[in-house]
Amino acid sequence: MQSVLLMAIVSGLWYWFSAGLAGYTLFSMLKSPTFIGFCLGLLWGDPITGIMAGGSIEVVYLGLVAPGGNIPSDKALAALIAVPLVLMSDMSVELAVSVAVPVGAIGVLINNLRRYFNAIFVHRADELAVEGDVKGIWRNATWYPLALGFVMRFPIVFVANYFGADLINQLLTIIPEWVLHGMSVMGGLLPALGFATTIFMIGKREYIPLFFIGYFLVEYSGLTTIGAAIFGLMIALIISYMGGFPRLRGEIAAESSREEVSPKTARRTNQDAIDEMMGRK
Amino acid sequence: MESNNKTQLTKRDITRTYLRWWWTAEISNSFERMQSLAYAASMGPILEKLYGKGSQGLKDGLQRHLAFFNTQAIWGALIIGTTVAMEEQKASGEDIPDETITSFKSGLMGPLAGIGDSLDFGTIQTIFYSLAASFAVTGNFLGAFFIVAFSVIHFFVGLGFMHTGYQQGRKSIMDILQSGRINAMIQTASILGMFMMGALSANMVRLETPLEFNVSGSVINVQETLDGIVPGLLPLAAVLLVYWALKKDKFTLSQLMVIITIVCLVGAFFGIF
Repeated sequence: MQSVLLMAIVSGLWYWFSAGLAGYTLFSMLKSPTFIGFCLGLLWGDPITGIMAGGSIEVVYLGLVAPGGNIPSDKALAALIAVPLVLMSDMSVELAVSVAVPVGAIGVLINNLRRYFNAIFVHRADELAVEGDVKGIWRNATWYPLALGFVMRFPIVFVANYFGADLINQLLTIIPEWVLHGMSVMGGLLPALGFATTIFMIGKREYIPLFFIGYFLVEYSGLTTIGAAIFGLMIALIISYMGGFPRLRGEIAAESSREEVSPKTARRTNQDAIDEMMGRK
Repeated sequence: MESNNKTQLTKRDITRTYLRWWWTAEISNSFERMQSLAYAASMGPILEKLYGKGSQGLKDGLQRHLAFFNTQAIWGALIIGTTVAMEEQKASGEDIPDETITSFKSGLMGPLAGIGDSLDFGTIQTIFYSLAASFAVTGNFLGAFFIVAFSVIHFFVGLGFMHTGYQQGRKSIMDILQSGRINAMIQTASILGMFMMGALSANMVRLETPLEFNVSGSVINVQETLDGIVPGLLPLAAVLLVYWALKKDKFTLSQLMVIITIVCLVGAFFGIF
């Protein structure tokens, strides 16, 4: 049964719960656009279109780590608005990616807001600790922040999906052809952002040639992804059995072996990378 | 209600502490104290069992674990496992000062977060997710399976770390940090990651030009000419340009998104793409 109301409610609840970050490995699954695409697709009776839209959005956000919980862009929000719109309107999968990207930026604001408000609960926990109230502390660590998240998150996604499809369908008839074409070119180009971000995160110059080997191996041979993964894993194991790259061996050991490192030292590399990308510096 | 009997913690206690930590680690994350509330909430029932309900030991313990804390929760399970063991010894009468526990936590949360963020999320998860996405865009349900598989494996890795931390204590963490194994794992994963980024860029980044030039009567198709030199030059150039822009610190991610939008729209308007 294809019900816009049901879709709007489910995706709103999904955004609330996944962004509430309950279950450390659970929420990384719930926030994955691929997984969201598959599940919402099932709900609409079209899992293939759903997972295709989700996968296209996933690629744009590859390599974005959230050190210290600072998300650089909210891929779950992006997917939870773009995927239902693909399913419910005439919008193509390529267009979905271009719609998703600006939406993802809004999610960052909501997340930061949440982390300001969460300070309330830690202050209450300070008082409860003096009384030895274990259950009270648990409530402040879980249920209250989750409840607060509902107010902040559910309405946005619900409204966007409940009214969005009609709006998009109207827009699609007005927007000139060249804009639509430009947006679908963008859908093909935005994945470059995800891959470049990952290369940037993995960094080190010794690894760069491997990128080109992977790229041209596939370009020339038309190898499938799993085929490429097999070759890649074998190359990685051979290099590692031969002792790896000497320069990097020393570097990583020095980074992680000292116990007296100041609390955030080891985190700084990633945090810096994200900060630079977000322009916080 | 201070009891002198040693309270023995069971395997089940440790697993349940992990489950609490796994469930709550990020929910209450705040700018002010990060995961400190989650840490205290996860330790609460253990402290209650060790020191007794309403005891001074419990109250002190809860306050002790409300100190600033932030790490990657899976590798951080090593820390929480170890502190459970430390609390158990402290409760049984051994002299372990508060500062020892607190400085142990704050000393190791950084290095372990560094490993967890870069190895688990930066590299291995990215490999899983990019494989997933490459299946997903062709409409293959295996895509969703890869996402679920990573989460399940990651969950059990954390559970393993929790028990290791509890059984072997602080020594286990130092051993892990100092052994070459972590280093080898990071290198292997990075090499595979970099290779896969190349392979997937070739598969998933799409950019073509319909441009044609009429040179003295014969039509030259730009795309065919480029493919004749080296296949896939345009998508490759796009990835390298974005990488260069990030690396040279010239542009931020959001600026790049805006630039890509403008380039695509302008290109489409003039028929370049």
